[in-house]
Parts: sequence; C-alpha cells; structure tokens
Amino acid sequence: MMKGNKKKQDLYWYVLIVLLILIPFIPQVAANSFTQHVLILILLYASMSQAWNIIGGYCGQVSFGHSVFFGIGAYGAGMAVVRFGLPPWPGIILGALLATAVAILISYPCFKLKGHYFAIATFAIVEIFNRLFMVWYWVNGALGLDYPLVEVGWRNFMWYTTKIPYYYGALVLFIIIFGIVRFIEKNRFGYYLRAVREDQETAEATGINSTMVKLSAMALSAFLAAFCGAFFVQYNLRVDPTMVMSLQVSMVFVLVTILGGAGTLFGPLLGAMILIPLQEYTRVLWGGLGRGTDLILFGFLIILIMVRQPKGIMGLVDEYFNYKKMRKVISAESDIKY
Amino acid sequence: MIYFLKKFSLILLTFILVFTLLSGVVLAQEKVIKIGTLFPLTGSCALAGSRCKAAVETAVEVINNAHPECDVPLAAQEGILGGYKIVLVHADHQGKPDIAKTEAERLFNQEKVYAIVGCYNSACTNPASFVAERQGKIFMCGCSSSAALTERGLKYFFRMAPTDKTESIEFCDVMEWMNEVKGTNLHTIGIIYENTEFGKHAADEGKLAAAEAGFEVIADVPFSPGATNMNSEVQTLKAKNPDVVFGACLGGDYTLWVRTMKQMDWLPKMCLNYCTGYQDPVIAQQLGDDGNYFMGGTGYSPEFADLMPAVAAVENIYKTKIGPSVPFDSDSIQEAVATFILAQAIEKAGTLDYDKVSETLYANEWDSPLSMGGKVAFVPGGQNAKAMSMMTQLQGGEYKRVYPPELATHDIIFPMIPWNQR
Repeated sequence: MMKGNKKKQDLYWYVLIVLLILIPFIPQVAANSFTQHVLILILLYASMSQAWNIIGGYCGQVSFGHSVFFGIGAYGAGMAVVRFGLPPWPGIILGALLATAVAILISYPCFKLKGHYFAIATFAIVEIFNRLFMVWYWVNGALGLDYPLVEVGWRNFMWYTTKIPYYYGALVLFIIIFGIVRFIEKNRFGYYLRAVREDQETAEATGINSTMVKLSAMALSAFLAAFCGAFFVQYNLRVDPTMVMSLQVSMVFVLVTILGGAGTLFGPLLGAMILIPLQEYTRVLWGGLGRGTDLILFGFLIILIMVRQPKGIMGLVDEYFNYKKMRKVISAESDIKY
Repeated sequence: MIYFLKKFSLILLTFILVFTLLSGVVLAQEKVIKIGTLFPLTGSCALAGSRCKAAVETAVEVINNAHPECDVPLAAQEGILGGYKIVLVHADHQGKPDIAKTEAERLFNQEKVYAIVGCYNSACTNPASFVAERQGKIFMCGCSSSAALTERGLKYFFRMAPTDKTESIEFCDVMEWMNEVKGTNLHTIGIIYENTEFGKHAADEGKLAAAEAGFEVIADVPFSPGATNMNSEVQTLKAKNPDVVFGACLGGDYTLWVRTMKQMDWLPKMCLNYCTGYQDPVIAQQLGDDGNYFMGGTGYSPEFADLMPAVAAVENIYKTKIGPSVPFDSDSIQEAVATFILAQAIEKAGTLDYDKVSETLYANEWDSPLSMGGKVAFVPGGQNAKAMSMMTQLQGGEYKRVYPPELATHDIIFPMIPWNQR
C-alpha cells in the first residue's frame, strides 16, 4: 500500500514538471513577456523559499540571514562576468561553496542561541554583510556591478530579447531544489530535522547530534540559496548590496514560506504562487497611481491570510478539504442511521 | 495525495484565469504615441518622483493641446506628426533597480510605449535604459545626475541635466573664486553622501575635482539612505571640521542631516549640495530658517523667473497637477524638458523610426525655454552639452542666485550663520 502511494506521488511530481515544461507553449504566455517574468519569479521565489524551508521550516531554526548567502551567490556570478570577463558558471560554483562556508562559520556560534535569540543574531549578520559589501572596493562597493553587453546564450546565461531560456533556467533550479527537499523529506535526515524542530532535547536523548543536523541543514540551505542568488543576478544583469543583501530580501525567504506553509514540500510553491502575482500585478494595475495603493492592498491581503490561517495557504487548503471529508463521513454515518 | 492534486488543480486554474484576463487587456487607440514614465512613486523618493511625473504630464498637456499662452515649442499646435496625441503610461520603480528593469521591459513589451522618460534615481536609470538600448528604443532621462550614465556609449539614451562631474567642478570653481575675490582661505573639504550609485559617484567626482583644483578632502562620510540617525556621520564631520562640505543627501536624509548638525551645534563655513534635498522647495519650506545659508547647484527656481520667462505659464499648468503651492524644481523641470525635446525630435524627424529620431536628436540644437541657457544639444553618449545650473544660496527661505557673478543677484553669506545666531 505504501509502495503504491509512493508511486502515485512520484507520478504527480512528474506530471507537475511536465506541466511546468509546457506552460511557455500556452499562446497567452508565449506572447506576453510580463507573464513570463511573473512565472520566472514564481519559480525563483519558490526555489529560494524552499532552500530556506530546509532550515526554517523542517528544522525550525528561523533564519533572517539568508539574504547573505543569496547575495554571496549573486556576487559570485557577478564578479566572474564583470570583474574577470568570464562566463558566470565558475563564479556560481565558487559563490555557492563560499556561501556554504560562510553559513557554517556564522551558524556554529549562532546555533548556541535558541528561538528568538537565534533569529535576532541572523538579523545582525545581514546588516554586517550589507555594510561590508557597501564599502568593499573590490566588489565595487555601493556602486554595485553592472553587466556589460556580452554574447547571449547558455554559455553566458544571458538573453536580452527573450525570457524563455530564463524560464527554463528557473525551472531547472526549481526541479533541483524541490527534488532535493523531496528526497530529504522521506530520508532519515528529514526525520532528524523534524525531530530537532519538535524537541531538540528529546531528539538528542535519542542519539541525534542536533548541532551537526542543524549545521548540515544550514549548509545545504545556504548552498541552494546561493544558486538562487546567481540566477537573480543573471536575470537582472546588475547586483548591488541593497538589491541582494538586505533585510527586505531576507524577509522574502521567510514570508513566501510562511505564507505557503512552512515545513511542507509545496508550501513555498503555493506561497510564491500567491505572493508574486499579487505583488507584480497590483504594482502594474495601481503602482502608476503613485499612492502606494498596490502596497497597501498587498499588505492587507497578507494580513488577511495570516490572521485566517497561521499555518499558511497549505493550512487553509487542508482546512477546506478536511471539512469536506468530514461532511462526507457525517453524511455517510447519517445514511447508516436511517 | 489525491486531495492535494485537487487543491493544486483548483489553485492552478484560478491563476491561469487571472493571467489570461490580465494579459488580454488591450488598449485600442488611434493616432496615439504612448510614452512611459518610470519614477519612484512610492518609497523614500516618492515626493520627488510624483513631481517628476506631474512635470511630464504638464509637458504632454502642452504638446497635445493648443496653449497659446505658453511660449514653448509645440504649444501653439495640437499634437505632433499631424495630429498624433501623446498618451502616458505611468509606472513605479519604488527606487529599486530590479523593479526599474522589470517595469521598463513591461512598458516596452506589454504597454508598447514608444519611449520612456525617467527614472530620477541614477541606480534605476542605469538598468532601465539598458533595456531600451537592447531593444533599440529611446530613453529620455531628465534629472538622474550620475556622470557614468552618459559614459556608457549608448545610442538611444539622452540626458538633460548637468552631471555630478560638472557640479563638482562648479563647486571647486566657487571655492576658488571665493578665495581669490573674498580672501576666504578655503582649503579643506568634507563629503557626506548616501551610499548608493548616485552618492558614491557624486563623492568620487567631488574627490577628483577637489584634487585637480588643489583642495584637500579630509572627511569622507558615507551613510545608508533612509537613515533614522546621522549622529555618527555628523560627529565625524565635526571632528574633522572641514572648511566646506559637499553634500549628496536625498529627500528626508537631507532634512535629517541638517537637523542633526543643528542638534550638534556645528556648521562648516560653506555647504555645497549636489542635486538633492537642498533643491526641493517643499523640504526647504519644512526646514524653515534651519535650511538657510546652504548652497547648491540649481537648474530652476521661481526666483529665476527673469532669466527663464517662459516657465511661468507652463508652471501654472504644472501647479494644477501637483498642487497650487508647489513650483517646478531643478529635477522635475528637467523631466518636462526631456518630454518636450523628444516630441520636438519626433516632429522634426517626421517619423517614429527610432534611428531617425535618435539621429535627429543628435544632429540639432533644440530650443528649450524651460532649460537654463535656453538650448539643448547632445554629444555622443547622450549628455546635453548645454546643460547648465547656477549656484544658489537659501536666504530667507528663497533660492538666491549667488554664482557665477555675472548672473548673481545676491552676495554669498559667508561663513554660514551659526545656529545660535539665527
């Protein structure tokens, strides 16, 4: 029975991937580069948030410092292209490795703190790195790195007139990150993560090395977040510290995941599917009015969702279907009575 | 899992519906040229962005309708190219470069605008104008002042305002003139700037100009824009005590900087500001007496009425859009100039072909009664070679012309009056 369920779940996952592969062939999407942009952002933000979900959702360590790893990844690609005139690929790998190393170095002492104190420490780390990059001459400080006009194509991972390759690039990132988390979820490491989240002392009593589990989760999370940063810079063709290493960016990681449902596989995707179109289309529809109407509405909707269901959209969806299921059971019981 | 699939399908279908509806919106118009505006309409520079937007709307109002009371090109006729009206599509970049790029792409690809006017923040103008260049479309920049923007060798980018470079040279000219004529013995400089593309460029140009003129920069003070406290920055300036301070503080940061200097009871002998909060008449009004005796390069102020007589009639229309008590300022007026120049170029080229309009923009010297000096002409890279500003000093809450001497109406009050003697 379990084996049958697993096969079914695999099938759904592959169907989802095939659907995502086919989306650009829908005429409305193919003809509208803004829709493509929104889809790219959904995939990117879902991937970013999934990376955060490993440490924040599954392991329960709320980190507000992920923009640092995202930023290091972005600067890795940016430096390769702008400073060294290379394709971004070596910079992407180096950036991801560096982000992992930084994550381990800063997390080790921070993991001695618990709950709110850990979150506050990660806040401070963002500010430290932001200031550092602002004044670091080698990475062009506050001026940031502006991409030169280079040959388009996969070698430079850069296109000027089409967004379709970016969409597929984001999709690959999405499949890799969601694939990894899907694997972890069913793996022993996934159970360790959830055990540490639920009760660290009990987990340790059962022989789990909680420090090692948290460090491994943070390292993996940072490594994947750095890849997302590299994609972000290749897509925007510019990077500066405020764009990538700020509390605002860190909040995106947390917000999307919590909105969708932290500690669930599809929560980040659902969060991104709600948040990104809302953010982009409210700006398009009302941003030009210049009264911040889009931002007011955006904030209001987030408050509404979170007040209604703190477990996020996944919680709302579960609530709805549980209710329907219960109604079915009640009606079946009623049938038996009569 | 079957439940999940049902839920997921429901959400997916909703989104496909929303996408379809939104992407299907088409605006059917005839004899219309759509122009996009891209300014910070929310965020810390929202006030300035709104004024820039209103300035472009004013220019379009004059271009589209006969306004015989306005003595500016195209005011006497209705529309351009034999009756084409300009329709504006507004967008907000929130002061963020990535959003500026996205919105520029959307304006060109979805809204099908012919050109974009913007973006106020240099950091946003940079990626947005790259989008235009890659698509071979025109980007008109009014007031973004980073000199680097016109050093990129772009073909379709045109900027009206003077750059940080020209302003820095002008600052040093004023200092030299003061030393020669008034014997002020100014020698040391402090630079305070927001740590962004704009501020950093301004500071770099300031240092270069100072080195060339033989002045010494003894304080280099960057700060994060949107700061809530500038005590440490002002403390650094106070400790170094430079003769002159060059300031690059936008909007609310400028107010905070001035008030913190008052709180710490310190002033340099002279304070020269790039195109920032100093030039904002609303901020000057808010600061009241505290804003007095600061100086800066100014492209326009109501006190320049005798030098730029054509502005008044256009300004009356502008005031109907932004508020009766808000006149043009140095930044917003440049956005109106950008719109007028683009319309003149299209009219002269007699076509909307991008290459021909771009060539026409480069090939001619344009009448621009809203610009100081009255002319606009572009050099390769898109910089307006005729861009001028004048040094003003706030005296009694009004921008008084103080330099160059041949155009000055008032003497520079030197040194700045200490806080406790005001």
